[in-house]
Amino acid sequence: MPVNSGVAQASNALLVLTIVVYALAMLAYAGDFAFGKRKTPAPVPARLPELVGAGAPAGFDADAGHTFPADPSDLSELADLSGRAADPAGAAGPSAGAAGLPALPGLPALPDRRSRWPASAWLRYAFLLTCAGLAAQAGAILTRGLAEHRVPWGNMFEFIAAITCVAVLMLTVAAVRFRAYYMGLFVLLPVVLALAVDVVVIYTPAGEVVPALQSYWLAIHVTGMLVSIGMFIFGAVVTVLFLLVARHERRVAAGLESRSAGIMVQLPGSSVLDRLSYRAILFAFPAWTFAVIAGAIWADHAWGRYWGWDPKETWSFITWLVYAAFLHARATAGWRGRRAAYIQLTGFACLIFNLVGVNLWISGLHSYAGLG
Amino acid sequence: MTQDLAGGDPVTELKERARTEGTVSASVPSSSVAVAGPGDIRLGARETGAGESAERELAARVPAATAGTGGRLGAVGWLRWGWRQLTSMRTALVLLFLLALASIPGSVLPQTGIDPAAVSQYYASHPGLAPVLARLSLFDVFGAPWFAAIYLLLFTSLAGCVVPRAFRMARSVRQPPPSAPRRLGRLPQAASFGTAADPEPALESAARLLARKRFRLRTGDGWVSAEKGYLHEVGNLLFHLALLGLLGSVALGGLFGYKANRLLVAGQGFANTPTALDVFRPGRLVSPADLQPFSVRLERFTASYITSGVQRGQPSWFSAAIQYSASYGGPEHSYDLRVNHPLIVDGVQVFLIGHGYAPVFKVTDRTGRVVFDQPVPFIPIEQSGLTSAGVIKVPDASPEQLGFAGVFLPTAVDVSGRLASAFPAALFPRVSLVSYAGNLGLDSGQAQSVYSLDTSAMHRLAVPPVPLAPGQSITLPNGLGKLTFTGYQQWISLAITYDPGQTPALISALAALAGLILSFLVRRRRMFVRAYPGHDGRTVVEVAGLTRSDAAGGFETEFAELASEIVHVLDGSAVVAGQPATTSRSAGDGLPAPAGDGRPAPAGDRRPAVEQLAAERSAAEQPAAEQSAAEQPLGAGQPAADEAALAQAEGE
Repeated sequence: MPVNSGVAQASNALLVLTIVVYALAMLAYAGDFAFGKRKTPAPVPARLPELVGAGAPAGFDADAGHTFPADPSDLSELADLSGRAADPAGAAGPSAGAAGLPALPGLPALPDRRSRWPASAWLRYAFLLTCAGLAAQAGAILTRGLAEHRVPWGNMFEFIAAITCVAVLMLTVAAVRFRAYYMGLFVLLPVVLALAVDVVVIYTPAGEVVPALQSYWLAIHVTGMLVSIGMFIFGAVVTVLFLLVARHERRVAAGLESRSAGIMVQLPGSSVLDRLSYRAILFAFPAWTFAVIAGAIWADHAWGRYWGWDPKETWSFITWLVYAAFLHARATAGWRGRRAAYIQLTGFACLIFNLVGVNLWISGLHSYAGLG
Repeated sequence: MTQDLAGGDPVTELKERARTEGTVSASVPSSSVAVAGPGDIRLGARETGAGESAERELAARVPAATAGTGGRLGAVGWLRWGWRQLTSMRTALVLLFLLALASIPGSVLPQTGIDPAAVSQYYASHPGLAPVLARLSLFDVFGAPWFAAIYLLLFTSLAGCVVPRAFRMARSVRQPPPSAPRRLGRLPQAASFGTAADPEPALESAARLLARKRFRLRTGDGWVSAEKGYLHEVGNLLFHLALLGLLGSVALGGLFGYKANRLLVAGQGFANTPTALDVFRPGRLVSPADLQPFSVRLERFTASYITSGVQRGQPSWFSAAIQYSASYGGPEHSYDLRVNHPLIVDGVQVFLIGHGYAPVFKVTDRTGRVVFDQPVPFIPIEQSGLTSAGVIKVPDASPEQLGFAGVFLPTAVDVSGRLASAFPAALFPRVSLVSYAGNLGLDSGQAQSVYSLDTSAMHRLAVPPVPLAPGQSITLPNGLGKLTFTGYQQWISLAITYDPGQTPALISALAALAGLILSFLVRRRRMFVRAYPGHDGRTVVEVAGLTRSDAAGGFETEFAELASEIVHVLDGSAVVAGQPATTSRSAGDGLPAPAGDGRPAPAGDRRPAVEQLAAERSAAEQPAAEQSAAEQPLGAGQPAADEAALAQAEGE
């Protein structure tokens, strides 16, 4: 079926719009770091007030069992984030209730529903812009697919548009779920750069794909790949922040001056970032494994072998190994923290090399990038 | 691979040591215990249990080694030490990196198994370096002995870690949870509250609640201990065992499978025998008689290409109409062979992996006899226009043998004086040839490629270089004969593979994925409840939780929910762990207020507690049935912090 060129043009326009909106969102995130008021969140109304020692009979709220949030995993981050904001030294680590919140460490404090929404106006606008950009990008990808009558990830141009979309999607989910709004600037920066290069340098007009790609496995294998890569990107960005914050914390703990203290103070503690990036990898790694397996099934279907050490396969194997090493390192004494973070970044470097380097410099069976 | 197997968990090891030696050096950092030298074997081997038997087996298999009396430990001790090193997490990490590193040359240098032509090309362009690289197996990285050494070591390490763990897991499934630690307030998650209910009924209600949440229960005098999330370890083991299965499947394919290639011109057929195949790479245990007896004939091949726009010339559709039969002389079936649509016959897969043109030539020699009349497959040398190169060898021509080398241009155009093909479809086919006469060298005994012409014993014939259209001829000088380009056929290249390891590999891979997801989704956790009469006549209930497979967090919240539900059931009032508990208990109870907020204390504060514990434990008698929770490792990936907290809570 021929390409619908009008729809394809609409898709291109939407992608450019996406970049503009993301850039504006970045500005707003940066504005938040520069001018946003860092308020210590208002103390959450304590629902578990009575102490045994005080001898209060049955002081527990009747509906206490139902007041815990439905998705609970943001509690520690919430506590930590607020604790951090009031604690510029930042060396406190995972100290729930170190400030702001009432000290109920045994039973974590109950977050106010409204506190999910960022307190700073800059941050609110930034987040709204991010969502708008995400919608534009999703629209661009959708229209591209409609124009081409296929899944719109058949070449490198389309692939980069899709993985950056997943990375931003991860950002919005993490922002709402784990209150990681502070990640906005740091995730959007590489996304905007990648999209700009994508549109300017590696733009490929909408078109058909070669017979080798005409398979439903394209949808399965490549979707798995781009979802996992999007999440790996998010994890890597958080890990870079983790290393910066950890360095800042070490310097503060040692009584040294920290040059980037202005931003560091506004970020959560390194342990929160560590967990956040670990969460991203916990999703990304099985997704990557799935994508590699799906690729192997497709390779078996198309080329007659499920594994043939094609450069792309080799590098996805290397990437898998290094991320597996990261997961093991996190469970090994003496390797947690910074060393594990460096391993994760090594894995990410392998991933990027597989995405860019193998496409550009090494020829193999996976030469579909459309860069020739 | 887990730490607890790798080096024994540090706290347990310290305790073990304290028990046997009566003293403890608490300053030994946990990491150094994990890689402790041979001297620690005595202690370590005891914990490993199943691992010990494996060590013994290893030692038994090397009888010569037992005779040696190297040092204090002897050879067996060193072997055990070596085995522990090999199965440690650290070694596994190093091997993972080594394997990753070793794979890199396989992607950068041409590989014989993937692209032999590129390897020859590399030899030609790097005549000095190539033999050295070949000697290091760098053109066959994934079959190299050093590559095999790394992955076999890795899998041995993995097996040495996972198999004993699987046995331990099987044992622990039948075991009830461990007894509750004495001081729940010191666990990472703890809360306590007062209730009007008596201790016994209070514990019963708490136990009922936990049972309803599908916790496995164990009750004792004044406590309830509950555990859940065994699937975490099951998933972890499944993942690692599935990797072993994957290796086995790959080996199965390598031993009993085969790969072959065959180029097939339209109108021709072949049978699946080694001689009929262009390339035949059998597995180690495959004999020619094992080949499945099918045959394939190509009726016609159709390719369509995009005719306009920027993608002009890009193929959009390939289809090969074939006839096949599953046995010699059996009934024929037709099949539409396409990319991503292989033929599967008798367990063998036949793939369409390439295509090209085979111009048909007719050669008559001086006598007027037709000495050659057949299609000659030309190999594409570029993809956008499918310009193809090939040679024609006419050994039967007399008085001299004839040879031709040239190109086939599907859509010939003149690009500033040079011939080129503008489109891959045969819209304006032309052939351009250079003619030779002399000795083709076919009788020299040396194998010759059908795609290259050895002109060393031939001389070039003076023929005007005019491209031939179908039907046109070249008349050779000196009455040597005539060549006619009669037309063209298309050919396809087929990959034929048989891999009995395919299905096992798929099952292993999916099992690994399932195990991975399971171990990431499920956390193994324990809940402890203690109840005893308080000072004010009310009952004090302590609730504590512990998890070790929760690196991504989330257990605090689950604990909080459970704790508040228990509070709700008992109609009590929750309090902060630690401080209020001390107020509710007698001052002489000896429960020191934990530092901070009940979370694990920073590393610096932890060590004295371990020391204290170890000293206490060495004195105290502990009935075997009342072994502490700390001695049953919870699972993989546990931070030492929880261990220490547990140990602290055990303190008496």
